[in-house]
Amino acid sequence: MSGGTALMLMMKAGVLRPSRLVFLGRLSLEKIESGPDGALRIGAMTTLRALERSDAVRMGWPVIAKALRTLANVRVRNVATVGGALAHAEPHMDLPPLLAALGARVLIEGKNGKRQLPVEDLYAGYLENTLKPGEIITQVEVPALGKRRAAYLKCTTRSADDWPAVGVAVALDSHESRIFISAAVDRPTRISSAQDLENIRIDGDLHGSADYKRQLLRVFLKRAMDEARNAGR
Amino acid sequence: MKRATQAAETPQVGRSIPRLESWLKVTGRAEYVHNLRLPGMLYGKIFRSNVAHGRIKNIDVSAARALAGVYRVVTGKDIQEVIPEPFYGPAFHDQPILALDKVRYVGEPVAVVLASDPHVAEAATHLISAEYEELPAVYDEVEAMTSKAIVHDVLKPAGTFPDLKHLQGKKNTNLALDFRLRRGNPDKAFKAAARVFEHRFRTQQVMHTPLEPLVSVAECTEDTLTIHTASQSPSFVRIEIARLLGWAENRVRVRVPFLGGGFGAKLYIKLEALVSVLSLITRKPVKIALTMEEQFFTITKHASTFRIKSGVDAGGRIVARECEVWWNGGAYADIGPRVTQKSGFTAPGPYDIEHVAIDSYALYTNLPPAGALRGFGIPQLVWAYESHTDLMARELGVDPVAFRRQNLLKEGRPQATGTVMHDAATEKVLDRLGALMDWKKPFDQGKGTVRRGRGIAVGFKACISNTTSLAAVGVNADGSCTVYCSTVDMGQGSDTTMAQIVGEVLRVPAESVRVVHSDTDVTPFDMATLGSRSMFHMGNAVKLAAEDALQKINHLRKELGLGPDSAVPEIFRKKYGMRAGSVMGTASFNPPYTPPDANGLTDNATPFWMVGGTGVELEVDTETGRVRITRLVNVADVGTPVNPKIVESQLSGAAIMQLGFTLFEKMLFDDQGQLRNASLAEYKIPGFLDLPDEIVNEAVAAEQKSGPFGAKGVGETATFGLSPAVANAIHDAVGIRLTELPMNPEAVFTKMQSR
Amino acid sequence: MRSEVQFQLNGEPVSAQVAPHESLVEVLQEQFGLYGARESCGQGLCGCCTVLVDGVAVSGCLQLAALINKKNVVTVEAGLTLDPVQEAFIESGAFQCGFCTPGIVLMTRQLLDENPDPDEDAIRHYLSGNLCRCAAYPEIIKAVQLAAQKRRKT
Repeated sequence: MSGGTALMLMMKAGVLRPSRLVFLGRLSLEKIESGPDGALRIGAMTTLRALERSDAVRMGWPVIAKALRTLANVRVRNVATVGGALAHAEPHMDLPPLLAALGARVLIEGKNGKRQLPVEDLYAGYLENTLKPGEIITQVEVPALGKRRAAYLKCTTRSADDWPAVGVAVALDSHESRIFISAAVDRPTRISSAQDLENIRIDGDLHGSADYKRQLLRVFLKRAMDEARNAGR
Repeated sequence: MKRATQAAETPQVGRSIPRLESWLKVTGRAEYVHNLRLPGMLYGKIFRSNVAHGRIKNIDVSAARALAGVYRVVTGKDIQEVIPEPFYGPAFHDQPILALDKVRYVGEPVAVVLASDPHVAEAATHLISAEYEELPAVYDEVEAMTSKAIVHDVLKPAGTFPDLKHLQGKKNTNLALDFRLRRGNPDKAFKAAARVFEHRFRTQQVMHTPLEPLVSVAECTEDTLTIHTASQSPSFVRIEIARLLGWAENRVRVRVPFLGGGFGAKLYIKLEALVSVLSLITRKPVKIALTMEEQFFTITKHASTFRIKSGVDAGGRIVARECEVWWNGGAYADIGPRVTQKSGFTAPGPYDIEHVAIDSYALYTNLPPAGALRGFGIPQLVWAYESHTDLMARELGVDPVAFRRQNLLKEGRPQATGTVMHDAATEKVLDRLGALMDWKKPFDQGKGTVRRGRGIAVGFKACISNTTSLAAVGVNADGSCTVYCSTVDMGQGSDTTMAQIVGEVLRVPAESVRVVHSDTDVTPFDMATLGSRSMFHMGNAVKLAAEDALQKINHLRKELGLGPDSAVPEIFRKKYGMRAGSVMGTASFNPPYTPPDANGLTDNATPFWMVGGTGVELEVDTETGRVRITRLVNVADVGTPVNPKIVESQLSGAAIMQLGFTLFEKMLFDDQGQLRNASLAEYKIPGFLDLPDEIVNEAVAAEQKSGPFGAKGVGETATFGLSPAVANAIHDAVGIRLTELPMNPEAVFTKMQSR
Repeated sequence: MRSEVQFQLNGEPVSAQVAPHESLVEVLQEQFGLYGARESCGQGLCGCCTVLVDGVAVSGCLQLAALINKKNVVTVEAGLTLDPVQEAFIESGAFQCGFCTPGIVLMTRQLLDENPDPDEDAIRHYLSGNLCRCAAYPEIIKAVQLAAQKRRKT
């Protein structure tokens, strides 16, 4: 257990009935560092609020600071951790698609040693990650933004403070576009063009019907691309 | 709280003084029943039905009983040992304290587990199992009229309202009340009309979600019962509990501190009967505190369908109107029949229409019960008639404000019931609305993917009648004053304004007046704190009681040969030889009322009207259907405000609440009657990021001559016109007409696609 | 099953026996008679349960009491006099029923500690996790701006 916010909700709802909780707070995983290669290394127990307020993040990856501003609320960000947010595998969350678009990798440690994984490979489905028993995320590494231009947009369809109906994260440079969609799908999903949107599987829910969410994806893909292109360094 | 040291120099009424309980609320020390813990107290957790309609075959509580820490498990049968006929309700005695032979909606209370640890009680509810023989269910209000799925085998009107008498013992029907009004000759008038317009509108089921969820605690002695409850109607609770137990009223005491929000949810009987019986069974204090989620299964707002038809003459005057309204009352009537009738008669709107036909139906369905929610049926009606009005104006090519002005009900003219309008500032409200909206100036609707639009709407409400408020005002030996009244302060500022009224009469600073909270052992009878009635009714009672106290003091002055300006402490010292004694002024206020005849007509339907106008400017993102309110204008006739700042916050608060009902709130059920979004994670209410860019609130200069210092109610007024103003603005922006609430982005977008 | 936690509560060292499943709000209410933090939505969305733990605002209804050992807990009841935030809320009429008010007061103090002169957009975003069903939102925004002014003066 890291921040415990998601865990507490699931325990209160009776969805999870653990007999034991192990708090990960004493593993000294709260550092945020920029390496000589310009990459950002975030300890998995770093709170989202610390990430939001980090000067290194604001200067080097403003798209992350901006996304955090509307992620849940301040109280949640005060205790929720980056590792927990990524491991939760909740498809509506903001960080997974954004970090995936930025080409981030997670460092995982367990009984059988360490391994690295692109963020997008962490997810198998709704609330299902690919960590093996006994493994935890210890660090997230985000490559320097470099010449890339990035944006993350999400759209809520009820009150403004709500899980989004769709999320779109893009990171563009002259070689590559990394585009990930979220919320309308059960895990952050990479697409290569607007055409891909017409073929992915979407389920309707309280946020909107499948057709409507597809429309939102079309619109927000275009807007995210525009915002990225216009993003200064 | 400051002590009175000298008579107040300035008027107390008309001052925007901070609320008396400010210190308590900002330091977290205000008393709510939510906080109450009594020694030896048991917590009750409710086991609920998971079928929408079914006969109970069996309830197995054995596993729950066996759980360590469980004190007792109680079902409907156990309740019947204490109360053989355990049915309650303000209009119908149709609601059992715990389900007996049938369950009528998913979430209906079937059993209660009692334990001193609420977690144990909750865990035990998961060990209870019930078997039902499922019955066909009905969910839609129009369908319920003719459905073979009958929610109640026989109707049981309470006898409290004479117009329900004819329904006693009726079977094979879901129709709990049919209110009918006929004036003039509508059929003839429609035939003669130049144009006839007909539309149909719908609203959805929503929930009040007060942040202090419903909660009650009961404790008994050998022959008395004290109920601490978050209730807006302590006097009603006392009467109804006494009736259920067959006790004299004076053996039941109902205490209410502050409410953490009410909005109509905390009325009549909710948990009070249940905790009372449980306390009598166990001889221990019993508390039942609902979770936010459970509130959705307790009381909600009526969904509705409204068919409205108008005949207009060649000059643009509305000459006839036909209203047919179906109210979705859910499984138990609660105050639904009142909504159906009391709001029903205003269905034609604030318009001067000679020929009127109204049929307003209260229907039972297999959904959580619907009752009073801020507006009491008026927002649903105004949604329909002000959307309809705008559509007519468009069709006729007439400006919406001008069309309304031409047809508006004016001072001295009869409303649909025949009651003549007095002190209802309809024209002023419409005029100020037009002015604040700069209506005469052209409006830029934009060219790109974001379009702009504006819209207005005007609605009105008749205060519930007939009702009674009593009050007492005590003047103590040192001259300090105390108000005793059963009006409940749920955030609307009643404590403060009652103190201001007393201060005005007795010429002391309002801040020095002490307001004693509802306690039926102490504070006299009040009908209830609802429907914006308290300022007028209790305000008048408090004013009269203060005047009575003043009269008694003046009498003492004369008796003792003291001058007219002699200080109060001096009077008592002279009378009793020391600092002793007090004076109690009392009063009751029950304005006259004439019940409607068989045609729904009466010359005295209400002691006062509320009038509210809304103006909205908004943007529509045509690519997504998302609506953003850029400007919201609330204009109201509240008479002469006692506390202008509180009035403003009531207008603003009501409008923002109604915004949630307009744009995104909706209780969503599956086809088995299961509620899918019973929590604030999935039922979203307005927050800081949902506010319009600009909100303007104005109380027009007006006077309710029969009100205390010219005042009347304001709590609901800004809910009336919000929804149709938004629909009218959307129509203005993108040319589509939405006829159902909520107008969420998908609804807007889908309608635009089908244009 | 119950464990002992020792912590600072509103400046005083205290201890409590807590069960593993108990939340901080429950312990504050049951064992310390502090009712300013209230569980309402139960999901950390409404802010009525706001409490400061080690100087940081958290949702008390989602905070396991067993984990507050050695921590510094501050509730709205701390302090003997009204601070500029509370005074500003009173002057601005920034509450109605008052149930959400303690949470918003605590969040406002945090906001102004971090950002002494927030604009309206910053205020709305910072308080976006605090709900007010009475919808005193416009008055609250004014109160926060007034509080900022008052704090700058002192």
